[in-house]
Amino acid sequence: MSDIEFEGLHVRLGGRTVLNGLTGELRGKAIGLLGPNGAGKSTLINTLLGFHVPSQGSARVFGLDTQRDRARIRQGVGYMPENDSFIGNMTGVRFVRYMAELAGLPAAEALERAHEALFYVGLGEVRYRKVNTYSLGMKQLIKLAQALAHGPRLLILDEPTNGLDPLARQRMIQTLQAIRKEGSIQLLISSHLLRDIDQTCDEVLILKDGRIAALCDIEQERRSQRNFIELEAAGPTEAFCETLRSLGCECASFAGGRIKLVVPDRIGSRDLYVVASQTGMQIRRMQRRRDSLEDIFMRAMEAEPARGELVHL
Amino acid sequence: MSIYKHEYRAYAGRLTSPWARLGVIVRYALAEAWSSRVTAVLLTLSMLPVIVYLVGIYLANNPMIRMLIMRGKSMIEIDPAYFLKVLQTQCWLALVMTAWIAPRLVSFEIADNALPILLSHPISRFSYVLGKFTALFACLSLVTWVPCLLLFAYQGYASPRPWIFANLHIAGGLLAGSVLWIALLSLLGLALSSWLKWRVVATGAIFAVMFIPAGVGGIITGVLRTKWGFLLNMPVMMSQLWQQLLDVPQTMRADRQLPGASILTVLLLMCGICVLMLNARIRAREVVRG
Repeated sequence: MSDIEFEGLHVRLGGRTVLNGLTGELRGKAIGLLGPNGAGKSTLINTLLGFHVPSQGSARVFGLDTQRDRARIRQGVGYMPENDSFIGNMTGVRFVRYMAELAGLPAAEALERAHEALFYVGLGEVRYRKVNTYSLGMKQLIKLAQALAHGPRLLILDEPTNGLDPLARQRMIQTLQAIRKEGSIQLLISSHLLRDIDQTCDEVLILKDGRIAALCDIEQERRSQRNFIELEAAGPTEAFCETLRSLGCECASFAGGRIKLVVPDRIGSRDLYVVASQTGMQIRRMQRRRDSLEDIFMRAMEAEPARGELVHL
Repeated sequence: MSIYKHEYRAYAGRLTSPWARLGVIVRYALAEAWSSRVTAVLLTLSMLPVIVYLVGIYLANNPMIRMLIMRGKSMIEIDPAYFLKVLQTQCWLALVMTAWIAPRLVSFEIADNALPILLSHPISRFSYVLGKFTALFACLSLVTWVPCLLLFAYQGYASPRPWIFANLHIAGGLLAGSVLWIALLSLLGLALSSWLKWRVVATGAIFAVMFIPAGVGGIITGVLRTKWGFLLNMPVMMSQLWQQLLDVPQTMRADRQLPGASILTVLLLMCGICVLMLNARIRAREVVRG
């Protein structure tokens, strides 16, 4: 059974349908939630936490209904919201301890784990300072610490690198990678930044206008995608392309000797040089690349799925 | 694991019950309320009238002092009217305590947008409000029914005649009058504080809600020559309710006295409005209509 699943999930807020018939299962250890503004990412997270009531359909976390069993779900979930959310006049350690106690930890264990969580995210030295004296990066980290302190099974992070400078962002990414590597927590990360998702997640759910535009395993998707090769050449490019097409490649030639190829895995760089030699063409530059998450995202945004249907990338 | 080993580990220990988590909210709310010296000063000041009333009971019951100072006459009569004064004094001091404590319990968390994080834990909105309410109610109890009943008990102890069992209705009136009042104050304080992020404004609003409608009620009473304007006048309305609860003769003219049922209806209505305000405000997420 997957930890997160939804079946025909509709959510209406303020008279507007925000989630429109989501059906799917999220099985990855680290799931990225992508989509443009207003796609329904935060609404989906809030629905999983039981903050929003589905108008139709259902969502399940750990096999439990998000409305009926929300207390049990929240027991196993750590949530880091997108915006500033803390109690500013408490010290860092007191705040994290309070949150851990609310999650059900006895006072002594909550205090011990609050210290641990603060050291883990890198706030150990400032844990006795009041939270409202923290910098923006520290505030992001203390939200992460409170989400981790009670030892959740699922960690939901809404825009975790929001407002961070490059160094703080890198630190946050490294922490998330370490959590993913440790393996006992499933991550659900919502972000606008494709690079963040690329670096931390193995599965991606792309939302568009409240519908699932794509749901795929990033690595598998990359593997299934063909190799893209860009060439700069001199000589008879058309003959070169014709030969490659006969070998099963997709080939397009452009002005200035530029050629774009999609080659099957069985054809390597050496084969291209052989064909070029046979057709009398010179290869002056070759650049090979695989599908990036950006390609996956852009294709999902361009495709217009039918209601309740997944786009196959 | 020691804290210097910077590794994550899952928690596999025991968990507390949902009721214990309600206790966590109460505990942290009480700690927040008493973290300010002003709260301690207010409590101390609230105890001064109690000491005065205690001395009054002592003087009224001590035969030696009655003989020496009062020349055998009883200048202070310990009766329901005496306890009405105690109740009124302490209840209005409770309003001052509410205006100080209630914003501390809620406004910080609202101002820092802490509700999404707080409510993402296994506690409900009801538990959150109940926890804050319990903490405020407990603080206000210290200045209302607890000292009132202690004075009642002392009078029972000091009185040369069997007094307690003949006057149990006073204890019931003190308890009911105090509990009604501090329950209303707690709800009102939390509701107003949840809507006003600035503590000073919330403090002012608590006083304003008590006294501005009283002025409007006075105008209605004067212009329309009706007693129903007093239903907006909290001091008058509560005085009449406390007099009825303690079985003290009403100080107002008969045509200006309000029925107990209508006073209770207004109090219930106010509590209902406060609950609606809290329900609208204490949410993890705001939904923008349109």
